[in-house]
Amino acid sequence: MDRRRFLSMCIKGGVSAAALTSTQLQAMQNLLNQQNYTDYKAMVCIFLLGGNDSMNMLIPLSGDEKADYLASRQNLAIESPLPLSPVSQLPDTGLNPALAALQSLFEQGDFAFIAGVGTLRAPTSLSDYQNKRSHIPAHLFSHNDQQGRWMHGQEKQSLNTGWGARMLELLEAAPGFASNISLAGTNPWQRGHSTSAFAMSRSGQAKIHPLTGTSTRAQQFDAAISRMLRQQAHPLANSYSQGLSKGIAQSQAMNASLEGLAPLPGFSDMPLSQQLHTIAKVIASQSQQGGGRQIFYATMGGFDTHDEQVTKHPELLSTLATSMSEFHRAMDSLGVSQQVTSFTMSDFGRTLSSNGDGTDHGWAGNQMVMGGAVKGGDIYGQLLPQRLGSEFDVKGGRLIPQVSTDQYSATLAKWFGLSDGQLLDLFPSLSAFNDLYLPMMRS
Amino acid sequence: MDRLIKRPRLSLALVVVTSLLSACGGSDSASNDTQQPLPVPPAVIPTPPPEDTPLYPKMTGAQASRLLHQATMGPTGKEIEVAAQTSANAWLTHQFTLPPTLHSPALRISPGKEQANYSNRIDAWWQVSLHAPDQLRQRVAFALSQIFVVSDTGNNLRGKPEAMVTYYDTLLRHSFGNYRELLEAATLSPAMGTYLSHLGNEKANVELNIRPDENYAREVMQLFTIGLEQLHLDGTAKTDDEGRTIATYDQVAIEGFARVFTGWTFAEAENWKWPTKHYLAPMQAWPEYHSELEKILLNSERIAAGTGPEQSLKIALDNLFNHPNVGPFIGKQLIQRLTTSNPSPAYVERVASVFNDNGQGVRGDLKATVYAILMDQEARDLTYAPSHFGKLKEPLLQTVQFWRELSAYSQSGFFYTWDLASSHGQAPLGSPSVFNFYRPDYQPQTLADTELVAPEAQIANSVTSIGLMNYHYASLLWRIDSLKEGDTGNQILIDLSQHQQHLAQHGPQGLIDYYNRLFFSDQMSLSMMQELLAVFEWAENKQPEYQIAYCLFLIAIAPEYVTQR
Repeated sequence: MDRRRFLSMCIKGGVSAAALTSTQLQAMQNLLNQQNYTDYKAMVCIFLLGGNDSMNMLIPLSGDEKADYLASRQNLAIESPLPLSPVSQLPDTGLNPALAALQSLFEQGDFAFIAGVGTLRAPTSLSDYQNKRSHIPAHLFSHNDQQGRWMHGQEKQSLNTGWGARMLELLEAAPGFASNISLAGTNPWQRGHSTSAFAMSRSGQAKIHPLTGTSTRAQQFDAAISRMLRQQAHPLANSYSQGLSKGIAQSQAMNASLEGLAPLPGFSDMPLSQQLHTIAKVIASQSQQGGGRQIFYATMGGFDTHDEQVTKHPELLSTLATSMSEFHRAMDSLGVSQQVTSFTMSDFGRTLSSNGDGTDHGWAGNQMVMGGAVKGGDIYGQLLPQRLGSEFDVKGGRLIPQVSTDQYSATLAKWFGLSDGQLLDLFPSLSAFNDLYLPMMRS
Repeated sequence: MDRLIKRPRLSLALVVVTSLLSACGGSDSASNDTQQPLPVPPAVIPTPPPEDTPLYPKMTGAQASRLLHQATMGPTGKEIEVAAQTSANAWLTHQFTLPPTLHSPALRISPGKEQANYSNRIDAWWQVSLHAPDQLRQRVAFALSQIFVVSDTGNNLRGKPEAMVTYYDTLLRHSFGNYRELLEAATLSPAMGTYLSHLGNEKANVELNIRPDENYAREVMQLFTIGLEQLHLDGTAKTDDEGRTIATYDQVAIEGFARVFTGWTFAEAENWKWPTKHYLAPMQAWPEYHSELEKILLNSERIAAGTGPEQSLKIALDNLFNHPNVGPFIGKQLIQRLTTSNPSPAYVERVASVFNDNGQGVRGDLKATVYAILMDQEARDLTYAPSHFGKLKEPLLQTVQFWRELSAYSQSGFFYTWDLASSHGQAPLGSPSVFNFYRPDYQPQTLADTELVAPEAQIANSVTSIGLMNYHYASLLWRIDSLKEGDTGNQILIDLSQHQQHLAQHGPQGLIDYYNRLFFSDQMSLSMMQELLAVFEWAENKQPEYQIAYCLFLIAIAPEYVTQR
């Protein structure tokens, strides 16, 4: 989208172009503070909290694979999968019908699956697992530890930083706060050595009541608050003070940059859609400012389907697919879909076996990547057989990943502009694998 | 309108609330059609017996304020004044004697509605937290609600307020009891059974590839009893020869415990598959759905094949309860919720030792453990405590303190608060997952150069910290009852008349001295004091209510108020 179209969009929203000229444009320009780029790219992480039963997104359609699937999944097996025609020669595989909203994106080449992904420190065999070899990741099957491992991109360190923030710090010495935005609060992925996420609400609005208006009261509060939020002797008080002080200044800058921006069409009111809508608005604003890099974090909860999976899981997938496809359409109409890549992460896959009406914490799973830069219409990684007792099954249908979370993440980081050397810095255990990344991106 | 009709007034300490006044609390609810429990009447501040001995000296006002910040939901000036008439020991001992103020009786149906909903159970939490005399118990139960997490955020419990208040009552009843009994009561709570899905969990069915649900088995170990890593008594992690931490359990134990938690469903169910949902009584066992296989527990303890559900549960919970991690694991988290985010290992060890043995050979005595946490020299003696001693106040407890001090009320009698997750980053029994609102080891980026953690900082991002600031602003500036006219319905109003009187009698400095005691335990900095004094200059043309509200707002967001030291 060119500048004129952007401005016209603002005008349609009832804002005159003149209103955008001074403070607002300046505010927009200062949010990223990145000099190293001539182009704009954004990465949108959608974290599926609780551990998505992602093996049930891709369904074997025929042969032994199908028979194994029906035997292992029993009453949780998916009926009437939709056809998929991946580019690669793969066993006959269908799409969970709850993901129907993504089928056309897959077929038109803007969407791909990465199969068999999970936390690994090195390639791992069944006997490695059974013999408790030292490279088995710590605290498998535990929610917060596995979420952490995905987002840290490294085994637990004394200082737990996430690969998203570390990546920004590798690319630019002091990236502006708007390079690192969370729609779901604090998270390990965006916490760096010197940077941390700027949080936005899903409505995107952050009115600050005490400082609103031009009264003496507002001015006095403004002055008093900045005096009160100075350096504190007590370290926890200081931490609070810095956090609030930054939060106020950054929210004011972001408010200015988004002020008057009309809502983008096509987003429904589900929480994930609202998060993605606000992300889309920030992208609409920032992608006009020349070069830069932004990472965004959104979440969807409810995937810990220990019970009632038959009813709950299709609802979750359907909501997810709807929100993702809405976002893709918005990126398309903004003309930035080549520059924005969205991808999922989730704690872990789930057991193939059932606990009666649900599944328990597993290991490997499938993930999704979306955007114009994705070599879509294909399934990367390795489709794992959904068979109990296979060479990948540590027990009960907890499958050993064949692609590490770090390889998956490194592929995205490479697209963002990191060199191979930087990738090895960012993901210390990558060197244990033959391939640093997957062939899923166009460049 | 006569103020007395609007609500009971509590202007003096130790006012005996007459039957007339307490009845008024509910009588002007918009509808009297339905029989409703009355709101919990404002507390008669209980008087602990006087004590002033060399071993247990009378507290100074500042000492009383510090103790009550750690040991109540948020103290009032009057409470601090009363507590300063006695020793910390006598105050705590007296609090231990008070009967629990339960939340179930405070669950009220909104006028015109058929049944209680989510906002009614939150109303019950406010009513009791603000008005209950057993403040220490309420504070400990609130802490326990963040360890034994049950939440109605994003699940079917949202429509079951009775289940949630009943669960909270379970925590309250056991707050000063034995941890082993609390563990069993929480395990068998139908709210917990629903939340962590062991309710209705069945033994394996090999033909259908069905095995027992592992959810509760995992979380009861990881979060409610022993944690992931073996601990020393002082709460630090044990390591092996290569310096690596040592796991407390493996998948074998998960599967063993998963078998234990089979065969349980709602009490008095007529039918296993489709039970009537009875949330008010503990779950009951159906032996035919309980796994008859051998169950391997921690430290290779085994439950023999064929053991029934009740017996298996007893053995399994004993096995967990007796693990050496429980004292340091739970003790440290209770310390973090009450007194300090970064206790010294020695402090943790002293508390864990009391957990392990209360001095009479009893393990798991929570009353003794809470007493040890609050009476420890690190908690009581500022000269002994490290300079980083203290914690960030939980956002909810900040609001509770302001509303307690300012006798908050609404004309309708209800405390409706919307979207606490946005304004406070937390809601009672409203965690986003079983991992609570924050991790005990959360370190914000601003503390990266230190060894310190600040769990509560995990929910203080730019959205929630501005949300909380706006909330304080609205509740202190826009809800002053004496400036309101007409029907204010459900608005939660504050009463500044006591503070106005204080201002009139003692001037700005006098009021600020009072605030120094009440909100800062006499530790207010000079610059903060100047900031508050300045309000009376730049707002000199404003009504006294506003001058006071401006001060209170600045206090609410001040780093030195937000940090409980």
